[in-house]
Parts: sequence; structure tokens; C-alpha cells
Amino acid sequence: MTTSPIAAGPPAAAHRSADPPAGPPRLRALPDALPGDAELIARSVDDPAEFAPLFDRHAATVHRYLGRRVGELADDLLGEVFLVAFRRRAAYRPEHVEVRPWLLGIATNVVHGHRRSEQRRYRALARAAAEPERHGEDPGEAADRLDAQALRGPLAAALAGLKPRDRDALLLLAWGQLGYEEIAAVLDVPVGTVRSRLHRARRQTRAALGDVSPFAPISEEDDR
Amino acid sequence: MNDLTLLREAGPEAPPLSPAARSAARAALLAEIEGPVPRRRPSRRFVVRTGVAVVAVAAAWTAAVVIAAPDGPGTPATSVTLVDFQTPTFPLSLDPAPVGMRPAFSGDGESAGFAEYDSADGAGRFTVGVHEDVPDGWEDAFTHAEVTGRSEIGVDGADADLVRGTREVYCDDGLTVCERERFAELLWERREDQWVWLTGEGRYSSTSELVAVAESLVDRPQRATLTAELAPAGWSVQFYKMGRVLTLVNDAYEQQTITVHVPLPEDVSPLAQVRGELMGPVGPQLDVTVQGRPAALVRVDNGPRDRGWFLQAQFEDGTTFTLQVPDAFTQEQVLEFAERVTHHP
Repeated sequence: MTTSPIAAGPPAAAHRSADPPAGPPRLRALPDALPGDAELIARSVDDPAEFAPLFDRHAATVHRYLGRRVGELADDLLGEVFLVAFRRRAAYRPEHVEVRPWLLGIATNVVHGHRRSEQRRYRALARAAAEPERHGEDPGEAADRLDAQALRGPLAAALAGLKPRDRDALLLLAWGQLGYEEIAAVLDVPVGTVRSRLHRARRQTRAALGDVSPFAPISEEDDR
Repeated sequence: MNDLTLLREAGPEAPPLSPAARSAARAALLAEIEGPVPRRRPSRRFVVRTGVAVVAVAAAWTAAVVIAAPDGPGTPATSVTLVDFQTPTFPLSLDPAPVGMRPAFSGDGESAGFAEYDSADGAGRFTVGVHEDVPDGWEDAFTHAEVTGRSEIGVDGADADLVRGTREVYCDDGLTVCERERFAELLWERREDQWVWLTGEGRYSSTSELVAVAESLVDRPQRATLTAELAPAGWSVQFYKMGRVLTLVNDAYEQQTITVHVPLPEDVSPLAQVRGELMGPVGPQLDVTVQGRPAALVRVDNGPRDRGWFLQAQFEDGTTFTLQVPDAFTQEQVLEFAERVTHHP
């Protein structure tokens, strides 16, 4: 079986003195390197307190993903994601998927319980984007904002119109920055199904945006 | 700009994570970590299902990773020879068979796996797991359950460990506890190198019902729900899952796999739209016939390590299945293989 690399924790301090390194940097494991995410989960099965640093490492990422999907509700859901992860930690297998995608998969499932909130948010954003804004500063900045403004509303409306499963795959790819294989792992579907869902979601998104945005064709390798 | 860049740059923004919200979430986690342990634990149902899912995800992930790997041992097959093939069987059956319950099997190419029986009315469920040795996790399975009794009982003359109790069952959100469910679990060495772990819930949380199931087990292999009766020479089963996924792998080059999938009805595309739902289609959608029914075949090209064929077809009963095979197959071989895929729900 091929194993995926374990997600590294925050980088340990490379140098403890103020002096520059005497020679070229050497690639070696630092003896005081912090334990990796997977190691923390493994330890936490026997010692639950070992799980806590994972919150510190990933809370911002998980909250940002949640926040883009459900807005302010992310504050409430953040805790739920880590509670679910903590309770399921014994089932986590590092060779299947790294911790960050695993957490985003749990976040995706938690969002499912708030699908209506998510859709309401997209629709509200679409309506708000359709209203003219008043700005009085730099014309260049205003032009950029108008470009973005032109896209935000249709994009939010497009997201609201996607099937939930298709939207999950698309947003794990776009906002979670997961690869196709990681999406397949966390959604528990074959990678071919992920491709189908992504293709459908992206085609619908493009169609919904019409000629608002110039799209460049892309390949799977470019998707991360 | 592509659509992903657009989503990242012009999609809805997240509100900032305030220190207060962060503290509250962290405190909730710490309370859970430090709080009384036997609350809100996943049910055995969840544990079993997770275990099954883990097997599948492991295999799916393995396949996914090796597909993405830049270089693996061996070289990919550029052609294949199809030979008769036997999908692994589950070694045990129930005699008499439980009325109204059909098993769904999961496992991989090396283990006997699981058979899961659900009653149609939801009133009872049991899972038979077969292991070569005392399964890991037997004791851990009850750490957080409310165990109401442990005893040793006889099953067909063998001593079996019986554990009974209750566990909390989570709702779909994985967080809210919907109910408490009674369970009973049996573990015994049925014969040399064959340990059986039997889990019962609902009606099968009754000791007598569970023992009746245990004593009805006979050495009669059951075929998997989804099978392939042909395979390329030198390929083997990588995993199968709940009758919906079967993956074969080239033993000489693990980057090459074949996946048979029975999608959920809501994921089935109309036949005329198959090509439009695919990524990387090459050439037209070919109208073909598989198992006496219309089917759609499309060549796909998603990069050097992911070129091949996509087929959407139906079994005789109308259930749709899809087939993804590498381009080592000829068009004729894809159809030949598909003719010999069977489904026994």
C-alpha cells in the first residue's frame, strides 16, 4: 500500500541563535521537531489531551472553509467539527487521507445539516451584489472592485443552484484545495464520481455566469 | 482566470475568526476532552460502519494515491488478456437464511470481510465479521459503551464472549444523539483460524436472537454482491464495498485499476448525457449494447496516467453500473468485460 505523507505540524524553529547558519542548510529531521498531525491523533486515542494542538493548527483553515459556505454560522460549526473529529479519532487512518482534508470532509458533513442556511447565504449575497455600491476613492481600485462586483453576484447565485453533492466536490476543490483523490476519500466515493460531480458543477457554474467571466480551459493537474 | 481562481477570488468571503469564537470552540473541545468519558460516544453501528468504510476508503485512497504517484514499481500494461476470474467470496452463510434480509459484503482481496444484514423494516440488524485471529479492537469497542452484562455462553459447543449494553446513536450530523440503542456482541473461535465477531442491534440485541444467528452460520461461501467473471491475467481484487464498488488492480503495476461502480439512483445520468458528464472525453459517445441493453461508451483522457474508457450500462434488472478501465483494454475487451459483470442485490 502506498502511504501518503503525514501532514507536518507548524515548523519548528530552525535556528535558536541569532547567528546565520555556518554552512548550507541540511535536510534532516530536527530532534525537537513537533509531532505530526497523524501522530497526535494516534497518541490522543490513549491520551485525549494530545488532540488539542490539532485545533490550534487547523482551526483557522476549517473556519475559513466553513465561513465561505455558511458565513457567521461558522463560529458555531467550528466547535462541532472538532468535536466530531475528536470522537472519531480512533477511526482516523493516516494512510488514507491527511488530517487537513479529513477535517474538511467532516466540516462538509457538518455543513449538510445547515444546507438551507448555506443556500440562503448565497442568495442573499447574490441580491446584495446586485445593488450598486458607492465608493469615492481611487478610480483604479474602483474599477477592480466593479470587475469583482460583476462576478460575485452571479457566482453566489450559481453556487446556490448547484446540487449539494456537486457543490461539496467543487468547494472542497476550490476552497479546501483538496485533490480529486482526497475529495474521493473524504466523500467516500470513487474518484470517477468526483470527476463527474466536478464536471457537472463547473459546467453549471460556467453556464450560470454566461459571458461575465473569461474562463481558460484547465487540466486536472492545474486544479490545485 | 479559470473558474477555480474565480471561486477563490470572487466567491463569498469568510467572516474573520474572532478571538471569542475561537476561544469558545476551543473550550468546547477541551471540555469534551476533559469531561466524563462515557457520553456521546459513537454507537457500535457507527463503529462497524466506519470500519467498513475505512476499508473502502483505504482502498479508494490507495488507488487514488498510486494513480497520482509519479513513478511506481513496474510498468503499466499496454494490453491485457482477459481470463476467467473469481471474485472473493464470503466464507459463511446462514441456514436458515433470515427472512427478508439480504447481505451486503465488504472487504478486500486478502480478508474474508464483513456481511451486513439489515431488516427492511429497520427493526433489526446484524453484522458478521470473519477474522483469522482475535480481532483488534474487541475490547476497545466497549470502552465507552454502557455495558450491562458480560458473560461466556456456548455457541455450537464453543465458548463465546458475550457483551451486552447500550450505545448512543448519532443523527446524520454526527453530533446530535438521536437515541440509545441496545446491542449485543459475540466473539468466538468458530474453528481454527476463524474468529467470528457478530454484532446485533435492534431485535438482534437479544441474546437468544443473536445466538440463533450464530448457530445458523454454516461453511457455505456466498458470492459478493458485485462480481466480475472476467479479469485481465495478472490482476486481482483490490477491494469491494457494500455491493456498490469493486476495484481490480494490476498486480504488476498498482497504478492501473479497473473500477466497477453501481451508483446511487440520484447519481445516474441519462444515457444520452453520459459524455457531457465526463471529464476529458475523447471522441464521440458510442452507442453499444451490454447485457442486452443500450449502453454508452466513451474514451477519456485525463492525463498520461488516467487514459481509458468509461462505460455506462445496465444489468438485466435495469440497475445502472459504470465501468472505468485503462486504455490497455481494446473497445471489444471493454464490452467483453462488461458482459460478465454481475450483480446480485
